[in-house]
Amino acid sequence: MTKLRNNSLIKKLGVQRLVITGVLIILFVFFYAMSPSFRKYSTIVTMTSYMYYIMLMAIGVTFPLITGGVDLSIGTGLVCYSIVGSFLMRQMGLPIWVAMLVTVGMGIFFGFFNGIIIAKLNLPPFITTLCTMMIVRGLGSILTGGMTGVWPMAGQDGSWFRDLLKYKINGTIYPVGLVFIILLVIFMSIVLNHSRVGRYIIAIGSNKEALKLSGVNVVRWHVMAYVFSGFFAGLAAIAYAGTFTSITPGTGAGLELDAIGGAIIGGTAMTGGSGSIVGTFLGVCLISLLKTGLPNVGLQANWQQIITGSILIVAVTIDMIRRRK
Amino acid sequence: MKKALSLFLVLLLIVGTLSVAIAADGKTYSFEIVSKGFQSTYWQAVLKGCLSETQKINDEAGYEMVKFNMVGPDSESDIAVQVNEFESALNAGPDAIGLAALDVNALNDNIAAAQAAGIPIIGFDSGVPNAPAGAVLANASTDNYAAGEVVAENLYAKIKDRILAASTPVRVGEINQDATSESITNRGLGFIDKFVALAAADGIKVAVVGNEKYVNDSTADKVAEADADVIIEVRVPAQTTTELCATEAGVVLNQPDTIAIFGSNQVSAEGIITANEMLGVCGSTDDMIIAVGFDSGTVIKAAVRAGVMFGAVTQSPVGIGEKLIQLLLAAAKGEAVQDTDTGCAFYTAETIDSDAIAPNLYD
Repeated sequence: MTKLRNNSLIKKLGVQRLVITGVLIILFVFFYAMSPSFRKYSTIVTMTSYMYYIMLMAIGVTFPLITGGVDLSIGTGLVCYSIVGSFLMRQMGLPIWVAMLVTVGMGIFFGFFNGIIIAKLNLPPFITTLCTMMIVRGLGSILTGGMTGVWPMAGQDGSWFRDLLKYKINGTIYPVGLVFIILLVIFMSIVLNHSRVGRYIIAIGSNKEALKLSGVNVVRWHVMAYVFSGFFAGLAAIAYAGTFTSITPGTGAGLELDAIGGAIIGGTAMTGGSGSIVGTFLGVCLISLLKTGLPNVGLQANWQQIITGSILIVAVTIDMIRRRK
Repeated sequence: MKKALSLFLVLLLIVGTLSVAIAADGKTYSFEIVSKGFQSTYWQAVLKGCLSETQKINDEAGYEMVKFNMVGPDSESDIAVQVNEFESALNAGPDAIGLAALDVNALNDNIAAAQAAGIPIIGFDSGVPNAPAGAVLANASTDNYAAGEVVAENLYAKIKDRILAASTPVRVGEINQDATSESITNRGLGFIDKFVALAAADGIKVAVVGNEKYVNDSTADKVAEADADVIIEVRVPAQTTTELCATEAGVVLNQPDTIAIFGSNQVSAEGIITANEMLGVCGSTDDMIIAVGFDSGTVIKAAVRAGVMFGAVTQSPVGIGEKLIQLLLAAAKGEAVQDTDTGCAFYTAETIDSDAIAPNLYD
């Protein structure tokens, strides 16, 4: 094991990420062998489509997690922003690009709101974002009068935004959204590891006091972590609206857990100070694979939850053991 | 000056007496209505029915005879929020309360308190199933079991010839968003039981597989999967989200022997439509999978119009609202009230704009 760990390639990729990749391959082969319906191309495309919004939320929430915080407001936020976007188009007749801008803008606003309260007023992130979670949940219903949100459907004006995620040529659907996701993963990995903002965010999670003493404006970079989270929740809101046909007000609580779970499986420490976007990507892939694979092998709903929960515990335990070493 | 003042006082007295007399004659009844939420347009349609009936009663009476306040939690899983809302409704001291309970057990104490205070309760939508005896005077609700049967009748008529012509067993999917709520389970069971009975009459044997709750609670005369001509596969997602409903629907739609699928409420029907966006296997012709849904909403209506979804059953949310106000008023006056089935109807692309259907559909 020590020999393995010393191998520079393995070191670079990270043991945890290699383990997840291994688990992903094993599970994929298992589902592939066990279920004829899982083998279909359409199942794989469907799985990637349902993954986009979780992936976007997860990339964003990795930043607050690395600071040692959390953002629980992204799930209900996503639903709120996309319902408001739908309201602007359907009730107020505004063009889709305005709706998209407002959707992302609302995400950034609530991210900033969370960040200011947490970084400036020093309130616990769990409580702050729990409160924001409730605020945005109620706000979506109030702003739109409880109307269900529907973004342009296939064949309607503005439905081009759905093609950004899945493009149809001669009846075959291509998951082009995956290209955007991979580019975003690469870009955000660079931001996290090779930019000032990324390095400061990691430093906040590992030793905030030392950073403060070295004269860095900690509040500013701490707020930025939550702005990233909000921005990606806004993007996720558009991806959600592009994948699902309608958005119900008041829902969304719990969606953030898939994203946070994905980041944790991917090796982001809940105590802060370390984490990676590639890890988050792999973690979300694992969660999405389970969500699609388990129903395909005929497992009943309750068993799906038990297995998903158990795998999460195993993943976190492996991470803890690795850190202690 | 004294005369003018006296005249003014006398006039004031007369006006005062008259207004007291009018008020005594025209009592205003106030109602509190606790719904399951405002989160779907379905509830907006119920509210619309309440408002129009109130307007009608007040117009006929010539004064504000009825007024109501409607509340509801944000989501249908917010049981604790609904309990709080029911408590507040009780404290407002209304003449009667309308209730669509999310969880009767959670509301038991409050229902007893309403009984003790002499405030009559009228159930609506799925009503207040298993409420303490005598607590709920009447329900204005859809008979969900019968609604499930209506779906089965219409779907069976559409696919009967395909079943009879098939040389190998065929599959019919049923997606239910949960296995706990009274309305959903009754719809699901009504569908299964009726479908099996109709098939048996034509000598077709049916097996029911999948979610244990539905398989075990169905009273239909089922056979083992190996002996069946038709397999009804019941699927319930781990959580009540469109995404997970769509995943379950996708599994059924991907089976090569599937010829039909039923989604028993708005969320699960939309799940089928979402899954089909990727697969493109649903349609109204005999080489496609026949999808049927429940309720309406922009997405389902568009799918029915386009023929992607063969049809759906609509309840009568506007009718439920109207009937609720009538029952509340009667109960508040101390008149005898009884349960009312507010009915349902199956609609297809041909009938969606008809006078019987269109008023009950919502966006």
